[in-house]
Amino acid sequence: MTFAQPKMTARDVSVFYGPKQAVKSVTIDVPTDEVTAFIGPSGCGKSTFLRTLNRMNDTIPAARVEGQIALDGEDIYSAGMDVVQLRARVGMVFQKPNPFPKSIFENVAYGPRIHGLARHKSDLEAIVQRSLKRAGLWDEVKDRLSDSGTALSGGQQQRLCIARAIAVDPEVILMDEPCSALDPIATARIEELIAELRGNYAIVIVTHNMQQAARVSQRTAFFHLGQLVEYDATDTIFTAPKEARTKDYITGRYG
Amino acid sequence: MSSTLVAGAPAIGAEPAARAPTDWRTDAMRGRIRRRYAAERRFRLLGLAAVTLSCGFLLVLLASMLSSGLGGFQRTDVRLSIDFPALNLPVTRGQLRGSGADLALAGAGLQGAVGRAAVQAFGEGGDRYIADRAWLTVRDAVLADPGLLTRRTAIDVPASSGIDAAARGAGRADDEAVVARLEGLRLLSTAINWDFFTRADATDPGAVGIWGALKGSLLTMAVTLLVAFPVGVLSAIYLEEYAGRNRWTDLIEVSINNLAAVPSIIFGLLGLAVFLNTLHLPRSAPLVGGLTLALMIMPVIVIAGRNAIKAVPPSIRDAAFGIGASRIQVVFHHVLPLALPGILTGTIIGMARALGETAPLLMIGMRAFIASPPGGLADPATVLPVQIFLWSDEVSRGFVEKTSAAIIVLLAFLLAMNAAAIYLRNKFETRW
Repeated sequence: MTFAQPKMTARDVSVFYGPKQAVKSVTIDVPTDEVTAFIGPSGCGKSTFLRTLNRMNDTIPAARVEGQIALDGEDIYSAGMDVVQLRARVGMVFQKPNPFPKSIFENVAYGPRIHGLARHKSDLEAIVQRSLKRAGLWDEVKDRLSDSGTALSGGQQQRLCIARAIAVDPEVILMDEPCSALDPIATARIEELIAELRGNYAIVIVTHNMQQAARVSQRTAFFHLGQLVEYDATDTIFTAPKEARTKDYITGRYG
Repeated sequence: MSSTLVAGAPAIGAEPAARAPTDWRTDAMRGRIRRRYAAERRFRLLGLAAVTLSCGFLLVLLASMLSSGLGGFQRTDVRLSIDFPALNLPVTRGQLRGSGADLALAGAGLQGAVGRAAVQAFGEGGDRYIADRAWLTVRDAVLADPGLLTRRTAIDVPASSGIDAAARGAGRADDEAVVARLEGLRLLSTAINWDFFTRADATDPGAVGIWGALKGSLLTMAVTLLVAFPVGVLSAIYLEEYAGRNRWTDLIEVSINNLAAVPSIIFGLLGLAVFLNTLHLPRSAPLVGGLTLALMIMPVIVIAGRNAIKAVPPSIRDAAFGIGASRIQVVFHHVLPLALPGILTGTIIGMARALGETAPLLMIGMRAFIASPPGGLADPATVLPVQIFLWSDEVSRGFVEKTSAAIIVLLAFLLAMNAAAIYLRNKFETRW
């Protein structure tokens, strides 16, 4: 499935961990201003594929990526692409909340500071405030910005991580099962937040939870055994999947 | 299907027997529980015994060091009556003002005069009761109060090593008799031997000081820390964060692990060959000693550093990379602060080992008799453990206490160094 104006495009992308192939020739377009969900059983390669979109696999020495991935038409694996800038443009939120063991303020300010986005302290403070507000965390932490980020609850930590990601003003946000370590109430907060952020960013979310995919996403891609089986509008995937494997997975036959 | 997964399950197809309720009150059950508690009690007792034993050893060590060593910080003084007008020193009051005063007194023959005064005061052989350097005490008293030269006075001067030993009950019989006589006259007293903290090695056990060796140790440790810490930490960072895993890095890892176990005297030979014979650095100098010990403890710091860096959760690295931090930013902003407590622990262990090390320093000439404290990194020096080794080898009885006193100083140094490192470590300790 392709769009007229995709934010990111992947063509024939394969990922190998040593001799093992984790992702097999995936071709997909990620739309601008919409939420795309990757679903599929454990070990199907959806997280691995997600991590190729901002080259986080570079940090794993054994990982090798083939094929072409482009952000706004620009090949992100080309020699001219700076990985540091790429990761600022394509932010990431991880499965387990991973705030830095620093203050809440420092957690959010770190990205803008290393990328030189704030000229003055007041600019930085404005960015931190705006990011925390967007992440829906400002009211809870505005009086204790100097407290440690690790002292927050799990759900708050994850929203702090989202604030940290959006503080550098990314174009794409990748979320790797962002709610799998959270309780249902915190999960609902994150899902609301994703709905609010939609429209400003291209969001790609990997999830195990099919209801979550149905709730938050407009597009859903189903991965199985490293292959992209089906990619369509979320409504279509959940009501009238074309592939038998998709149907089996959604109806709970396996996974 | 599920029954085959249960260990010891009956053969496929056979019906499992109906489950009978467990009887928890049978004798076998009670016996088993009793034995479990008994095993736990035995283990606790064994642990307690082990801890008591090690604490006991520590207490015995400390008690024996303190009981035999505290005397090393004291000296025996003899009250010496001096009739200055009778000695008729050729020195004028004018000469006693200004900077040349000590020279004037030395030139006037004060040393001989003090000896004569001792003979006068204690009879034939009385000059042997006081230390050779006793006249320095007299000199200082005169410098402090030139008016003394016009009258008869009594000054407490250090006793000779023989009298000092006899006063502690460890001298020769004739000295013991002298001590008994002097004590009868109430002329003996004990004072804190401040000279011990300001002087260096000497042949007379009464005149030795620990400052030379202490300063040597301080300088050597400074060199060791300044070389081993940065090099060790940077190696650990490089190996953990930058170097890939291949045959070469495996080889380096094995080599470092083996280096950490190499006997220290081998490092002394290495230091001798490299620093003295090849680079021609000064012999017996803290610079060379520090470099040699740095080579010795570097593997310890590298290993501890690598383990500490490995223990930093990958999620922190992911978080920093995911926001666009470069590798060096990830390392210095996030990994290193979290790994620092572990790195410091390794450094403490390494430095403590270096501080107590004797063998490698013997190889590079730090066992020489050095009678003045080192002025700098290139001056001949010795260090505390070597000084202890040298003094323990002396025949003179007076060195026994000095050896124990030096051990107390070494232990105090060690405790101070560790306390500083632990303070730093706790300061940097952060949870995640």
